[in-house]
This record gives sequence, structure tokens and C-alpha cells, in this order.
Amino acid sequence: MGLLSIIRKIKKKEKEMRILMVGLDNSGKTTIVLKINGEDTSVISPTLGFNIKTITYQKYTLNIWDVGGQRTIRSYWRNYFEQTDGLVWVVDSSDLRRLDDCKMELDNLLKEERLSGASLLIFANKQDIKGALTPAEIAKVLNLDAMDRTRHWEIVGCSAYTGEGLLEGFDWMVQDIASRIYMLD
Amino acid sequence: MEDEENSTHQDQDQALQKKHQLMLERLSARHQTRLETRKPDSPESSATSAFLSRFNDSKKSIDAQLESASDPSRLVDISFTISDLEKLVAENSYLLPSYEIRSSLKTISDLKQSLDNLSSQLIPKKKFSFKNKPTKTQTQTQIPKSDDTVSLPEKTTTNYLFRDSPGLRNKQNQVLVQNFKGSDIGEFTVSDLDSCEVKLVGCVNSLFVNRLKNCKIYAGPVVGSILMEEVEDCVFVLASHQIRIHFAKRSDFYLRVRSRPIIEDSDGLRFAPYCLKYEGIGKDLAAAGLDEETGNWANVDDFKWLRAVQSPNWSVLPEEERVGAVDLLLRAVQSPNWSVLLEEEERLRAVDLADSG
Ligand SMILES: Nc1nc2c(ncn2[C@@H]2O[C@H](COP(=O)(O)OP(=O)(O)OP(=O)(O)O)[C@@H](O)[C@H]2O)c(=O)[nH]1
Ligand SMILES: [Mg+2]
Repeated sequence: MGLLSIIRKIKKKEKEMRILMVGLDNSGKTTIVLKINGEDTSVISPTLGFNIKTITYQKYTLNIWDVGGQRTIRSYWRNYFEQTDGLVWVVDSSDLRRLDDCKMELDNLLKEERLSGASLLIFANKQDIKGALTPAEIAKVLNLDAMDRTRHWEIVGCSAYTGEGLLEGFDWMVQDIASRIYMLD
Repeated sequence: MEDEENSTHQDQDQALQKKHQLMLERLSARHQTRLETRKPDSPESSATSAFLSRFNDSKKSIDAQLESASDPSRLVDISFTISDLEKLVAENSYLLPSYEIRSSLKTISDLKQSLDNLSSQLIPKKKFSFKNKPTKTQTQTQIPKSDDTVSLPEKTTTNYLFRDSPGLRNKQNQVLVQNFKGSDIGEFTVSDLDSCEVKLVGCVNSLFVNRLKNCKIYAGPVVGSILMEEVEDCVFVLASHQIRIHFAKRSDFYLRVRSRPIIEDSDGLRFAPYCLKYEGIGKDLAAAGLDEETGNWANVDDFKWLRAVQSPNWSVLPEEERVGAVDLLLRAVQSPNWSVLLEEEERLRAVDLADSG
């Protein structure tokens, strides 16, 4: 039995899910994680490395890895790919200028074999900002329809400020992961 | 990062090099610990040195396990130990100095690489015949990322700009004024300006600043974040919850920020405290939660600097070289338009008119 399947078995017993949050710097990853955990979001520094939050969500334990998105540390993202059940890609829907960067980094990520089984949730964040692109527009820019057919994905508009959309997104992801991993028992 | 390709008969050589590397790391860790313990009165540094010693102990033990592991059953344990080490870093990431966080990340990355190498030695690879090939043609050829070049990112032109967000763009030698009061503008862009003076009055949610040369930018409080790229020879007076500065050269920043300012791929930057005045700025700052001086203007984190000593890319602007308070005198330009563009002379005339009326 390979290394991964052993680890997967252990995780299965503990009803644990490993969630990786990535996206360009300034997209709102840390704000989303803190908001969903009910913490104060008024003073957040740009993430220098990464943070882990363990959150109980329904009957599951989510280990959320929030990794900094500054260009210099994007090369570390790949350290966190292994055993990822859910991938959350956060987009600043008001940052029109860096949509190219955003698309390129996401495309690169999706080529990763180690992430090929992960459910993909795309958060079109900052919907509260006037002038933000809608989730449909973001989907078009990122060319999500052209994605590999085997990938489970969903795009959800949200605002880490108001909290709108966050639960909807996480609900989808947790259900999707659960149906792949745990319902098989 | 490392060039350790084509290991045919250089295994022994590599093992030696690795030992050497480990020794260097141990030495530098010890040196680091000594440095930290020299300032025993700072609680932060003792927490740091406690972390470092735990980190290094654990790293040494993982190294040893990696070296002695001869059957696949050990791999799982090693993998868990590395995960624990990673958690240790995450738990401490709030109190560690930034260079410690990033060098710990590098170490963990290297350990994982070693584990990967080891597991591919010990477990014969299954052959996957269908890799995830990119099927669509839209994949662009990638320019290999190098770690320490300061060159600008390769930009493809954006062809899906759905709409132009509010902003000031493509001007030269002008004074540009924007009053956010009473507007419902969420994000604002200042880009492609040469030798301009820009005055932004009132609060805005987020500010994007791109490609400026020889400009002066004065702004009221930004409730969210400022993202800045490709500026040179500029002066900025800005208040914001967060600020990220990329590809900036020879510029001065007068800042008030609630979190630590970030610089990346930049040099010749100098920092000083915020010094802007206009009628009603006190209220605006309070509304944005920026009425208190946090001192963070001097806590700059340079992502391109991984060492314990001060980054050469930024410094504190000497007091005698700072401009005094900058007063925007904005009663002059209360136009119904959200953007008023004036040539320098016209602006002066406008100020006269307002003063006499
Ligand atoms: N208006 C608005 N601003 C948001 C929202 N979410 C985050 N922000 C702001 O966006 C900025 C960046 O948020 P962070 O959570 O630090 O972003 P991040 O993705 O973690 O950034 P890195 O750690 O650098 O990768 C902060 O100033 C937040 O206040 C949102 O939904 N609406
Ligand atoms: Mg963050």
C-alpha cells in the first residue's frame, strides 16, 4: 500500500478534511478564514508564510491552510498540495488589472497532478465593492467552462466583509468532498 | 532553487555536501540562538529562540530519520513528523520575525523534497499513462521563474476588461483632484501618470496604484487595502489598513497603516509617518479606523530579504528630510464632477477664487 493511501485511511477515520486556500495576494483569503471562524477581521496583516485553522464544520474537522499569495512565496504553494481534499481559489473581483495573473496562476495549479482529485471552490470575493465583476464574469475570464471534465468545481460570489456567500461556498465544498471520500464506507 | 540534477555517480559527493550543509545549518542555528539570547529582556526574542531550538531539534531528528530509513513503512511516520513541524511553524507564525518564518518554510520545503526523493527510491513508481495534459490551446508558454531577479513580471495584455473602473489614468504634468465625499465609489485606480500631483479626498474601499513616474500622490484613508505596482521617483502620503508595494524604486512613503507594510521586488524606498491635512480629515480617519498612529510605517516587511539584518531596500526617511504637513486646501475644487482636472495655473486661479468667495 502506498504512502498516500495509508494517510488517507487514517484521515477517513477522523473525518478530517484538508482544505488549501490559495489565490493572489490581497484577494482576501485570511479575511475569509477568520470571518468563517467568527474572529475579528479588523486588523489583518498580509500573510508572510501560512496559517492553519482547525474548524469544526458540521460533523467534519476542517484543517484550513491559508497560504500567503505574494509573488515571492507562491513557489511554496506546492508544499501544501499533498493530501489536499478541497482547493479554495480566492479572487479579488475588483482587481481587474491582475486577472491575467490570476488566471495564469490558477491554470498552473490545475495542472498539478497532486491536486487532480481535489474539489475546487472558486470564491469571487469582494462582491460588496461597487464595480466588482460578478461571479459569471469571473467564470468567463478564468475560462472555467474549459476545465477538465473530471474536476468537481463551483464558483460562488462572496464578501468576506458581510459574510455573504461564505457558508454557501463551504457547504458545497464539504458536501462534495464528503460524497467522494466518506460516503464510500 | 538548487541544482541537484543528474545524480548518476555523484551520490557520494552529494551525501558529503548534504552533511556539510547540515553542519552549516546547525552552526548558523546555534549562532542565531546565541544572538537571540543576548537580548534576554525581550520576551519576543526568547519566544523566538525557544521556537528555534525546538524547530532545529525536530529538524535534526527528521534528517536522521531520513538518512536511516530503509523501508517504506517509516515514510508515514516521517511524513507526520514533518507535518507536525509545519504546524509548529504555523502556530508560531504570529510571533516570529518574518525572516524566521520564511526560512523555516524553506527548511520544511527541503525536508519534503527529501522525503519525496526517498519515497520514490523506496516505493517503485506506478506508471501513470494518462497525465493531466492541458487539452486546450490557451496555455501560454511559461517563462521559468527565477527567485531573485528584480525584473518586471511578464504581462500579457488584458483583453477581457469588462469595464473601466473609476480612476485617473494616462496624464502628464497635471494636478488631479478626486473627492470621494458623497460618491459611492468602491475601488479607485491611479495609473499611468507622469509628473502629476494627485489629491484624493475622503474615504475609499480600495486603491490600486500602477505605473507612475515622478508623481506626488496624497490620499485620505483607504478602508481596505492599497495595492501598488511599478512606481518610481514618487512621493506618497497614504493611510490604509494594508499596503502592498511591488516593483517600486526610489520613492518616499508617508504612511499610516494598521498592519505591517509589505514591499517586494523594490529598492530605494524610504518611510515616514503620515502627514496629510485637509478640511475634515480627522473625521474621515476616524470613520476608517485610522485615527490612531500605530507606528507601523516603520515596520516594513521585505519579501525579497531573508536575513536577520535590515533590508537594504528600504530605510527610515531622516527627519530633517521629511516634508512638513501637506495641506490640500481643497475648498477650491468642489466641483459637481467627480473628477476635476486642472492645469497647474488653473488650479492656482481656482484657489484664489475660492479664497475670495
Ligand atoms: N471590500 C472588501 N474588502 C475585502 C474583502 N475581503 C478582504 N478584503 C480586504 O482585502 C485586503 C486583503 O485581505 P487579506 O485577507 O489580507 O488577503 P490575503 O488573500 O490573505 O492576502 P495575502 O495574505 O497577502 O495572500 C484587506 O484589506 C481586507 O480588508 C471583501 O469581501 N470586501
Ligand atoms: Mg493572508
